[in-house]
Amino acid sequence: MKSIFKLGTAVVLASVLAAPAAMAGATLDRVMSSKTLTMSSDAEYPPQSFLNDANEMDGFDVDVGKEIARRMGVELKIVTPSWDIITGGNWGGRWDMSVGSMTPTKQRAEVLNFPAVYYYTPAAFAVHKDSKISSLADLNGKTIGACGGCTYDAYLNKDLVIDAEGAPPFEYKVEAGEIKTYETDTHAFDDLRLGDGTRLDAVFSALPTIQEAIDNGGYPMKVIGTPAFYEPLSVATDKGDPEFDAKITAIVEEMRADGTLKKLSEKWYGVDLTSVQ
Amino acid sequence: MYESAREHPWVSRAAILLVAAVALTALGLGGTAVGDLLSPVIGLRDPDAPAGFARDLLVGLVLGVAFLINVEILKLLAFRIQVFVVWGELLLLFYGFVLSFDRDFGVIFEVGARSGVSNLYFLITTGAFTTLYVSLIAIAIACVLALLGALGKLSSNGMAYAMATFYISFFRGTPLLLQVVLIYTGFAQLGFVLEAVPAGITALSLCYGAYMAEIFRAGIEGVPPGQREAARALGVPDGLIFRKIIFPQAMRLIVPPTGNQFIAMLKDSSLVSVVGVWELTKTAQVLGKRDFQVFEFLIAAAVLYWIMSVVFELLQARLEAHYGKGQKR
Repeated sequence: MKSIFKLGTAVVLASVLAAPAAMAGATLDRVMSSKTLTMSSDAEYPPQSFLNDANEMDGFDVDVGKEIARRMGVELKIVTPSWDIITGGNWGGRWDMSVGSMTPTKQRAEVLNFPAVYYYTPAAFAVHKDSKISSLADLNGKTIGACGGCTYDAYLNKDLVIDAEGAPPFEYKVEAGEIKTYETDTHAFDDLRLGDGTRLDAVFSALPTIQEAIDNGGYPMKVIGTPAFYEPLSVATDKGDPEFDAKITAIVEEMRADGTLKKLSEKWYGVDLTSVQ
Repeated sequence: MYESAREHPWVSRAAILLVAAVALTALGLGGTAVGDLLSPVIGLRDPDAPAGFARDLLVGLVLGVAFLINVEILKLLAFRIQVFVVWGELLLLFYGFVLSFDRDFGVIFEVGARSGVSNLYFLITTGAFTTLYVSLIAIAIACVLALLGALGKLSSNGMAYAMATFYISFFRGTPLLLQVVLIYTGFAQLGFVLEAVPAGITALSLCYGAYMAEIFRAGIEGVPPGQREAARALGVPDGLIFRKIIFPQAMRLIVPPTGNQFIAMLKDSSLVSVVGVWELTKTAQVLGKRDFQVFEFLIAAAVLYWIMSVVFELLQARLEAHYGKGQKR
């Protein structure tokens, strides 16, 4: 029994000592010494990140991640934990950065750092192609689907705070009757696909994601009105390594300056989304 | 009622026919391919005409008669053949049901232009393989935990009893999904950074160990006390009594519900995908999202889960036969 208590004491002690897991420079040191930059990404979010026909991760976010790794002179490795686990912070060094189209909100900034905004995505409403809805005003009182816990959910709840520099101002234009939330945007699209009003009257998501679903997925949807807001999307890192953050900021700035970001945006979205519209 | 049906087998047959015909008519199958095929019989020659009640009734009656004939033929067959035929028929019905969704299932067998392997191959080698090895390791650890938990719960030592009951109570009383997340993120904050797969296996083992501890306890308690007493009277040492006398007999009671748990675990292992493990469900979703054909891949995953479960059902039957041989007369 005694040895168990001793072990217990050791565990508690070790955990107290190890608590500030990421000390200054720790992440950067790990990346440079292992020659591997590990990035978290969603594997179910085309065209940002998805599995391509070579069974490898591909997409805009993945290309940005690859380019960051290349400029650091290291290999990129991708892991795919769920969104909640990524946004929960305290990554414990399992991965070094998230290039996952994450909006730098105030709540998230409490557990994560946002060293570099790399593009701005328009948020749009879409309805079933048979729907009579033709303007944002028609959407008031309707049942709208969005990903749970994401910025679209927050917007519909009138609870969206984007505290990134250069985030364009927006106003709440739609009063949803009922908000239905899903694990990921495409699940909401699946419900809308069942028919106009069967489960949903409209979905609210990133315009590029909706466009991809219509163009490549054959979803019977159409986009309504102008984008409700533009959200800046940022690389995220765990708290505690300002040197690593500074490196990311510098690299993304470089990529913006030499036109790499713009080129990648045009490759995946057909338009330049890397500067404020 | 039973007596009279026995004396007049035609009464029960008519009853079966009536119930089947009413149920099938109520399903409204007049608009299906069968309806198209049969409608000329009642003079409805235009196959594009909307299916009315007459067509529903016609299809209901014909299928009802077919069902009755099927039952009558099956009655004449031997047990084993009955089993095979009914399984085959139900599988065909299931196949027809899935086909009726009118989705493009060809995508499951499509070969990636650059990967050179089919989607099904990737689904099996990445998804099903991960599900299988995660579940196998987890069930092995869970068996050890379950045995310890059961012995603790049967122990007269207060500390052992308390630890065992606390463990069983906590891991049975909280959702597996939360356990996965807590072990993955919670332990990391204490300095134990487990990778996704070990974290998932740990959570599955702990959770199933707790459920199975109760199965093991019931199995051990199910061995008649006379067995232990007789062994003691013969001077067999306590440790040997448990290993050679109690345990083998307990196994006979433990194996069936444990097989059940393993099959449940095969499917529950999909919960570890939240920490980024590409097991079968996650892989199916990832593949499905690529071309927005999630449904097709979920069906493929369901069939793969089913095949794995069937294999383990057969293994379980053999294991049961092994431990049950003492009961055979």
